[in-house]
Amino acid sequence: MKMDTPADIQRMKTSLLTNIRRSAYVYRVDCGGCNGCEIEIFSTITPVFDTERFGIKVVASPRHADILLFTGAVTRAMRMPALRAYEAAPDPKIVVSYGACGCTGGIFHDLYCVWGGTDQIVPVDVYIPGCPPTPPATIYGFAVALGLLEQKLTAKTHIEGEGERVGMAYPELPYNLRVHVEREARRMAGYRQGRDIADRFLGMLTIPGELPLNQRIAALISKEPDPRIAEIFLRLGDTLRGGELSA
Amino acid sequence: MLKLLKEVFRQGDATVKYPFAPYEVEKDFRGRPEHVAENCIACAACTSACPANALSMETDLAAGTRTWSISYGRCIFCARCEEVCPTQAIRLTTDFELAVANKADLTSQAVFKLADCVCCGEPFAPAKEIAYVTALIEANSGTNGASTGAEKSSEAERRRRLLSTCPACKRANDLQQIAQIAHRQEKNR
Ligand code: SF4
Ligand code: SF4
Ligand code: SF4
Repeated sequence: MKMDTPADIQRMKTSLLTNIRRSAYVYRVDCGGCNGCEIEIFSTITPVFDTERFGIKVVASPRHADILLFTGAVTRAMRMPALRAYEAAPDPKIVVSYGACGCTGGIFHDLYCVWGGTDQIVPVDVYIPGCPPTPPATIYGFAVALGLLEQKLTAKTHIEGEGERVGMAYPELPYNLRVHVEREARRMAGYRQGRDIADRFLGMLTIPGELPLNQRIAALISKEPDPRIAEIFLRLGDTLRGGELSA
Repeated sequence: MLKLLKEVFRQGDATVKYPFAPYEVEKDFRGRPEHVAENCIACAACTSACPANALSMETDLAAGTRTWSISYGRCIFCARCEEVCPTQAIRLTTDFELAVANKADLTSQAVFKLADCVCCGEPFAPAKEIAYVTALIEANSGTNGASTGAEKSSEAERRRRLLSTCPACKRANDLQQIAQIAHRQEKNR
């Protein structure tokens, strides 16, 4: 009896997902990624993340596979091998698209030799974004693929509300001073920590009261356990006192 | 042997409990970019900084809207959007649980209204952006030589009008003014 209509496959897939009483074997198909994704897949099967405790095992042949893991943006050269691997895997199979490249083509999406994602050549069941996805993200993706966890992300559309406006940050401080502090903090600590540090510093400046700058900074530093951040607060204070600011 | 066993027990279990227990990530972990559309002025700085084109802006002149959208499936979590955003509307969170079964769920959108040019009435820039820039310039402009209150308010009014004019109309107005000046000079000669 032949059983390969889409409805049959869907039914078999559902029964595979609900009645899987054995290990899920994974075959990994590299369709032309940068290898970052492969490294993360292999760190997912290390003892620290140990996917074999759930019976998820990487196998060497698509003929043994229940789950096909496609990484990479599907280059022209890898399209046929990827399709052959897909055809070689027995039905029912679950196709997982791994990494930003697998989901949409990622950073390579507009290259001349790239098809732009696994779903351009085979039907995909689960997308795991990330560049590369971290091992926990990979485990989560497998849990979604096997129906153990619910997906959390949903499509969202925000429509601008009536009279929705954005106010300036720290309107009570002179604009030049705010920009100067933000720039200096970013210069010293990078954009992420710099922004956090600048926010704390500017927040300290806006505390109402007549306290002089020295005492304000001293109060801020006394609460800061990290000597590097304390040093940056001090230097920010110095740049303000330097008088190079015409605010 | 006993020593080895002792060491094994001392070390304990290295395997993480995830997914049965939450997985702790570093606080500066670069996970899903969170866009707070209320704080966004639709300036498109992030869309031009995004190296993977995960962020995009689409302008619909007929509807008078501009749509910001992000595809988490394309994002490479580089945080350049966070770095350039002038209003801190976008920031990378520590959320890594992004896997979806339905590709459409990887997209998130925000629709902003375009403001009409005060001269030609055509939509040309996001209303929120114009309002933000106007407020910024107003807070920072000195009196510009104007001394009386009336002069100041007329100056502010002129500036507001200028900011709400589309580039094409600005060019046309400039040409007209130049023509007038040339005409006057012609007469004076
Ligand atoms: S998603 Fe990122 S890490 Fe994975 S193959 Fe593509 S570029 Fe490399
Ligand atoms: S983190 Fe990088 S790739 Fe992702 S949306 Fe921001 S700029 Fe684009
Ligand atoms: S840079 Fe910030 S304010 Fe500008 S469009 Fe992007 S999120 Fe919005």
